[in-house]
Amino acid sequence: MTGGPELELSALAPVAFTAIGAMLVLLGEVLLSRAKSFLGRPITDAYLTTLLGFFSIFWLILTAVTAGQGLVTGSSEVFNLGHPMMRVDTFANFAILMIAIGGILTCALSVTYLTVLHVSHGEYFALLLLATCGMILMVSSVDLMSLFLGLELMSIPIYALAGFARRDLRSNESALKYFITGSFASALLLYGMALVYGTTGHTSFEGIRGAFDVQGPVGLAGLALLLVGFAFKISAVPFHQWTPDVYEGAPTSVTGYMSVAVKATAFAALIRILLEAFPEVQGRIEPVLFALATLTVVVGNVMAVVQEDVKRLLAYSSVAHAGYLLIGLVAGTPEAIAGVLFYLLVYTFMNLGAFGVVASLAQQGRDCERIEDFAGLARQRPAVASLMTLFLVSLAGIPGTAGFVAKFLVFAPAVQEGEVLLAVIGVLASVVSVYYYLRIPVVMWMRDPAPESVRPEPSGSEWLVLTLCATAVLVLGIFPNLEVLEGQPLLDLARRSAALLFG
Amino acid sequence: MIQVLFSLFALLAVIGALAMVLNVRNTIAAALSLVVTMISLGGIFVLLEAHLVAVIQIMVYAGAIVVVFLFVVMLLNLRRDVFGPSGQRLTKALGAVAGVWLVYRLLVLLEGRLPATQPLPDGFGGYRDVGMALFTDFLLPFEVTSLLLLAAIVGAIVLAKRRLD
Repeated sequence: MTGGPELELSALAPVAFTAIGAMLVLLGEVLLSRAKSFLGRPITDAYLTTLLGFFSIFWLILTAVTAGQGLVTGSSEVFNLGHPMMRVDTFANFAILMIAIGGILTCALSVTYLTVLHVSHGEYFALLLLATCGMILMVSSVDLMSLFLGLELMSIPIYALAGFARRDLRSNESALKYFITGSFASALLLYGMALVYGTTGHTSFEGIRGAFDVQGPVGLAGLALLLVGFAFKISAVPFHQWTPDVYEGAPTSVTGYMSVAVKATAFAALIRILLEAFPEVQGRIEPVLFALATLTVVVGNVMAVVQEDVKRLLAYSSVAHAGYLLIGLVAGTPEAIAGVLFYLLVYTFMNLGAFGVVASLAQQGRDCERIEDFAGLARQRPAVASLMTLFLVSLAGIPGTAGFVAKFLVFAPAVQEGEVLLAVIGVLASVVSVYYYLRIPVVMWMRDPAPESVRPEPSGSEWLVLTLCATAVLVLGIFPNLEVLEGQPLLDLARRSAALLFG
Repeated sequence: MIQVLFSLFALLAVIGALAMVLNVRNTIAAALSLVVTMISLGGIFVLLEAHLVAVIQIMVYAGAIVVVFLFVVMLLNLRRDVFGPSGQRLTKALGAVAGVWLVYRLLVLLEGRLPATQPLPDGFGGYRDVGMALFTDFLLPFEVTSLLLLAAIVGAIVLAKRRLD
């Protein structure tokens, strides 16, 4: 074709769905709040939030369906206007599917939770959709420029969401801390990108791959700064200090979303940039990743043991899981990367499930946060207690749950690659994790409830989220090869996504 | 001539940056040192014949952004004694030593290994080229920036507005 570049607008579909959804949510809130009633019911704050929440879910489902179709057909679309910026291929589609699922579950969870916290404002869903849009851009970008903009578009709404409970001092603290440390990390990342661009003269991954000098100190310094920026987003030790405070203070639904979607996005983008832009540097950064993985696994698990607050405990557990995922990155084979992708998907379900239970127990504007607050839950709400136990058992990686399969798929390739030491550290740390995860079930099942404590009944949408997560954890744990998407097991799709990056 | 001017601007930029970071006593002076750095960078862009970028650099950074900084400094009226005596001397000393050592190592590694420079393409940095790049090659980032601004505005309103109804 002569006459200028071809416009493949369909590559923009997932980004466009979320962005349009966000704008319509903002418009919808203004228009609906002027109306007296809608669909035969008077407009109240809670009703408006519910409407906007389900409206956002609609756009996220559209995104998920588009990504799922792309996965099944194995399509690869490039947004290319003289300079490729995004490539929505199998790998990107897998990541987008995870992110969209995380978004859908979070929206469904937030509908009730926002009302309980007395912060029913529609802007919540607009920010959530904008953050999702940034994540989608980030995992599909093949250029430093779109990668950085995606990162910022993901981070800025999440800074605001962390402070969404505006009257809660801890939520304010959480937003401020996340904003300051996050901006610092973004600045380091940007400086790294500038150094890489300065030495190679390219911003596209392809150009960098061709021009990167593996011996050049400036380029390597840039790569190191890039790694620091990503390590911050995945909360790898020693860049994790913000995690417990931010996770504790942010509204629980936002914490859940941060822990699964931001982590999945940062890992997917890190994997893509390492394999597509810096394939020849693998040997040089392996020791760095090795040190990061070891520290993260050990510190995350040890610090989780001494926590008394459930959200802080889950925060350190999320640090520990970042460590297990980094073990897969150290191994760096297609099989290990497929394991990491599968792990991230499983983690989405089990961690959002656990945070979902914590959110559903909130009442009168405050969270059920201390471990003692769970005492006797099994007597009052046996179903909720059983689901929580299932999620925690899966997080600990006990056989029969998806958490075990995921850990196995990450550790086994590491052993095959000769990283036996790392795998042993990972397994030993998982043993430690069983102790702190099972503390909560012990309190729930063995202790008597505090006198005159009342447990709220989870709402319909909360039940839906918890059941979906539990089903996914069990199904992926017992039949990891179940054919989910038009006769294709998720595991195979993860393998194909990973193989794509190795070309 | 260009060499001399470049050295002058580069020196000024570094001095301004150092003055900003080291000047912990007076935040206003620190912000004004930042202006020196920004204007020197603008000068360097002029030397690269990137006139449009130079003007934007001075208008946006030296003008708008530093003015916002100054506003915040004046609103908060921060002085050193507000922070109280800072502890962690050992950490700071270790950080300084590690930083200096890192810079030294980088300089040693850098010696004679900077990538070769290339002549600038025709029309580099003019409004025509910047416009072309912005609306063709970098159309997507350009458009995404507007979403970013939307997110920032909504986020700021959510966090700062007195009543959200």
